[in-house]
Amino acid sequence: MPELTLAEKLEILADGAKYDVSCASSGSSRRNRDGIGNAAQCGICHSWTADGRCVSLLKILLTNACIYDCAYCVNRRSNDTRRVILTPPEVAELTIGFYRRNAIEGLFLSTGVVKTPDHTMELLIEATRLLREEHRFNGYIHVKVVPGADLLLVERLGRLADRVSINMELPTREGLQLLAPDKSREAIVAPMRRVGELIVQTKEERKVSRKIPPFAPAGQSTQLIVGAAGESDLQIVTLAAGLYGRLAMKRVYYSAFIPVNRDERLPAVVGTPPLVREHRLYQADWLMRYYGFAAGELLNEERPNLDLSLDPKAGWALRNLHLFPVEVNRADYETLLRVPGIGVRSAQRIVRARRGGHLSLDDLPKLGVVMKRARYFVTARGRFAADLAPDAAGLRARLLEKTPARPRWNQPSLFEGGAAGIDLRSAITGEL
Amino acid sequence: MIYRYDGTFAGFLSAAARAREPGARPEAITDREPEQQGLFTAVVEVPTDRDRAEELYALIRRTLSPGALQTLRHAFHAGDPGREILIFRYLMLGLATGRDFDAMLAHPEVIPVWKLARAVGREAHRYKGLVRFRHLEGDVWYAALEPDHRILPLIAPHFAARFADQRWIIHDPRRGEAVVFDPARREWAETPLEATGPLPLSAGEELFRNLWQRYFERLAIAERRNPKLQRQNLPLKHRRHLPEFGET
Repeated sequence: MPELTLAEKLEILADGAKYDVSCASSGSSRRNRDGIGNAAQCGICHSWTADGRCVSLLKILLTNACIYDCAYCVNRRSNDTRRVILTPPEVAELTIGFYRRNAIEGLFLSTGVVKTPDHTMELLIEATRLLREEHRFNGYIHVKVVPGADLLLVERLGRLADRVSINMELPTREGLQLLAPDKSREAIVAPMRRVGELIVQTKEERKVSRKIPPFAPAGQSTQLIVGAAGESDLQIVTLAAGLYGRLAMKRVYYSAFIPVNRDERLPAVVGTPPLVREHRLYQADWLMRYYGFAAGELLNEERPNLDLSLDPKAGWALRNLHLFPVEVNRADYETLLRVPGIGVRSAQRIVRARRGGHLSLDDLPKLGVVMKRARYFVTARGRFAADLAPDAAGLRARLLEKTPARPRWNQPSLFEGGAAGIDLRSAITGEL
Repeated sequence: MIYRYDGTFAGFLSAAARAREPGARPEAITDREPEQQGLFTAVVEVPTDRDRAEELYALIRRTLSPGALQTLRHAFHAGDPGREILIFRYLMLGLATGRDFDAMLAHPEVIPVWKLARAVGREAHRYKGLVRFRHLEGDVWYAALEPDHRILPLIAPHFAARFADQRWIIHDPRRGEAVVFDPARREWAETPLEATGPLPLSAGEELFRNLWQRYFERLAIAERRNPKLQRQNLPLKHRRHLPEFGET
């Protein structure tokens, strides 16, 4: 076969990496020490592709060759695709080249498994080390940990990277056994646990001495495929809650299953991937991480799946109408956060603004409250804004009403409105 | 009364100091040619007075919280004509209310300034990602952008820290302004810069532009295609200077 150009290799390796949905470049504040680059705590998006997802990091595989044969994976051994590999210096040079043009925040390096997990990890470490030490690169680096690799290698990698991740992919043990027979759950969980320990331990040590190098300062993340193995939302959300709680996980990503392979073990998918389900899972995830909800408040054995037509916070409120309406001038911050139509920012602004005097209903939209939903759940100075006394059935109908489409010439803003119905535009990224 | 100043922050503070003198009745503060003012409105030219500006700034810093001051400074960078009088009223309210000012989030004189500041802050953050450097002959990294607001001085520190070893220029050709970074002294400076013809690219530049374009094409997942979401996240006006959208 003819030798491929660098551009052709890059195309193949981008193809193999793009199904990993993690895109964050946030959570690290690495400074530029006499070299190039730094990390921005809040993360920065650099472009958006035709599927509406943001481009933040140069997301590529080191190689798309793989010894495993996971049913769902585009790079599995039995697929008849051209296999290519980049050398660690090539990875480093591409990263620096794009970075200097400000096209990216840094590198997201994933890989197929070549020879052995340990050998593959050493290649990842070498690419990362070259960037940090030879190129003096202080930008963001997210690297995959290869399941089954030696835990000492995991530690070396985490000392160089800002974030590390090991994808769990299948939420249930049975799903994993069926669809990824070469990987054991233990091989995935053991490095996750070690990473979690090292993150916590290093944070403690660095409180005493800043000389100790950070370990994955932006934390670890993982990805779950949604809809490939018949799992329920309850299983997914409970698993995510466990990962956040016990393994010091920073982010769990949910990826609507896209059939890239023909395989009788996989579900037959007709039409678009389960994007709305993915969106609802992200909303539930946000509720757990930023709004103080427990997994059990969102789902239980009787209702194991999220309502696709209503966001999970509104759904929770409808099941708990006895807690509403709340008085915005008195309710504490945690209670405000649970009101549909009030988000983290508007809750903070309410708390700040009411120090200056009693808030009226007119003040609420000015503070960023979405009255379309909140009107049924709040009072201000004892006044209730809705014409409807909260009764679950009627309210549900109201909350499901679609906002009329805005005129075409209006540039839609991320922060306006927010339909209570299904908003496919934001369903795609899970951005909320 | 319309107060005209030179467009600088110190100039604005000088005008504001005049406008808050007893008996003054400011209707507008502007750095533009007055076009359509009322027939009976007088225009006062206010030269920048460093001492007065500094005196007022010291008072502001003593009275306003850091957050309120940042709101004011960001709002000043907004591209909207008419921003100055809003900021002036915001400032007067802040100086009058002092410590209570921070809680007045829903006040009619706070909201418009807060919105301006938010728009400026968002655009500045967005352009931290959308600035795209081209490597030119002579080892200069050049980026052009056409923001709605005057954000160059707001984003310059970010790029100065990040690309401390590159000689770079970020250019707003529509306003004829640029920030230029000198890696030897590690300093950036604002300078007027008019738009010129095509720039001579360095030898390796075409290769990287091509690599980036081809990489970007491949990244989208066909099954999730959603140009509407793409346009929502990246409006067309922001694509003009991005190589992945075929900028010239």
